[in-house]
Amino acid sequence: MIDHLFRHQYGKMVSILTRIFGLDHLETIEDAVQDTFVSAMVKWRQQIPENPEAWLTKAAKNRAIDLLRKIQSNNARLSKLDSGPSAMAIDRLFLDNEIEDSQLRMIFTACHPSLDPKDQIAFALKTIAGFSTKEIASALLLKNETVKKRLSRARRVIKEQNLQFSLPDKVHIIDRLNRVHRVLYLIFNEGFHSNHPEMLIRKDLCGEAMRLNKLVLSKEFLRTGSGYALFGLMCFQASRLESKVSENLEIIDLKNQDRSKWYFPLIQLGNEAMHRSLDFKDHSIYHIEAAIAVVHLTAKSYEATDWPKILTLYQKLFDIQPSPLTRLNIAFIQLQLKNYGEALQILEEVSPQELEQRAYLYYGLKAEYLNTTGQINNAIDCLDQALGMVTNNIEKNYLLRKKNSLIALNN
Amino acid sequence: MKDFMLIFIGKDYSQMGLSPEEMQNRMGKWWGWHAKMEEMGILKGGHALHAEMRHISGPERVVTDRTSTELKEIVGGYYVIAAKDLEEASKVAQDYPDYDLGGTVEIREIMYFEQ
Repeated sequence: MIDHLFRHQYGKMVSILTRIFGLDHLETIEDAVQDTFVSAMVKWRQQIPENPEAWLTKAAKNRAIDLLRKIQSNNARLSKLDSGPSAMAIDRLFLDNEIEDSQLRMIFTACHPSLDPKDQIAFALKTIAGFSTKEIASALLLKNETVKKRLSRARRVIKEQNLQFSLPDKVHIIDRLNRVHRVLYLIFNEGFHSNHPEMLIRKDLCGEAMRLNKLVLSKEFLRTGSGYALFGLMCFQASRLESKVSENLEIIDLKNQDRSKWYFPLIQLGNEAMHRSLDFKDHSIYHIEAAIAVVHLTAKSYEATDWPKILTLYQKLFDIQPSPLTRLNIAFIQLQLKNYGEALQILEEVSPQELEQRAYLYYGLKAEYLNTTGQINNAIDCLDQALGMVTNNIEKNYLLRKKNSLIALNN
Repeated sequence: MKDFMLIFIGKDYSQMGLSPEEMQNRMGKWWGWHAKMEEMGILKGGHALHAEMRHISGPERVVTDRTSTELKEIVGGYYVIAAKDLEEASKVAQDYPDYDLGGTVEIREIMYFEQ
């Protein structure tokens, strides 16, 4: 059977049924779809249907008609009005093209500006990508309760503000599309940067973000340069996902990655996307980030990296979207270029507090600076500070290994 | 060779909050087990059971309709397999996929009437 068939089918079914019955019934719909899978799991125990996807779709359709009867009989009792869609209309909504349309509506609903960005990600993973609360919590390294709160807050806002299950009109589409890209970018980065102990989960997150981005790009009216550039960026990053972590779950930094392990077909796909992005006039941070990724991918070795080019790109990125993390990246590049004065200046101007839970990155980089400028004892102190802040075990180990190698050097 | 019934007892799946992905993976394990038993030529039959149930009990034949969701444990299904003895049947039962969900396998030899 196709990988993730249930997960993806879940997202499709929830979207179709929501289109038929409205966002008001979202919870009922999610329960009903869940039941469909429970019964499939038991019924299929002995024998797989010839076409599992068709079986599930048919089951969902039957579910829809059941729900329709239930809702109609409620309506009839309340107002004697028959306002629900007909069985024929339901049939139409199960055509491939309409299924995609329903899924897009769900993506745009998840990225509605009325929802908190944190809630958007959880809601998208639940309703579009078919993750359970537990899976979202595990993937985003959050507590189960936190995810539950975010999901119920999203549902409440949708209800209270009576959000419609529709695509935005022409005036708002660009703004909303930007938000969609942003959420997909964040989901991807959760997978790419999180250092989650399980590779499978990280691949799932990256894979979902790419799948949904592809879905958006499949519709002509939703194609933009930013969308293609974002897809290109995702491909470039995903090509080196495997080489970032060793078999015993240690982080391998860019300097020590086996470049022959980078996955070429994805790099090619990324290149194609970047070419398509040239057909559009809009420009975004995704273009710049993709360009940075290309510089890394085309370097034969770490030493052969074109750092001056990367520096220019990061400075462009900083002009569009100034953030302390980008400044840290610039300091890192200055260090590679042996511009110690410039690196130090940034380290003095950025305060670790600005980086919040990522403050350990600041101390990690400062240690790097101190080490390269021969101040090994201070570097070790800095690594201790970083170690006191980092919560993720994999990153902790990485910093510990660094510290131990410095101590060995010092003796 | 004797025949044994493997009876699966546990919570109803719908009560466990399994994600679609987990369900798909679990189904794969059931198929794997099923295929393994067929290959060994020991599988004689078996079914999964619907969740709705009716209890009839006592001389008054009191009828109670139960849904599996009210109960902590239900019989979810069974297989009949051929095995030399209880030991061998237990080995087959090692591959039952739902131990991690708190499931239990009850193994009973089928009694045949001898003339």
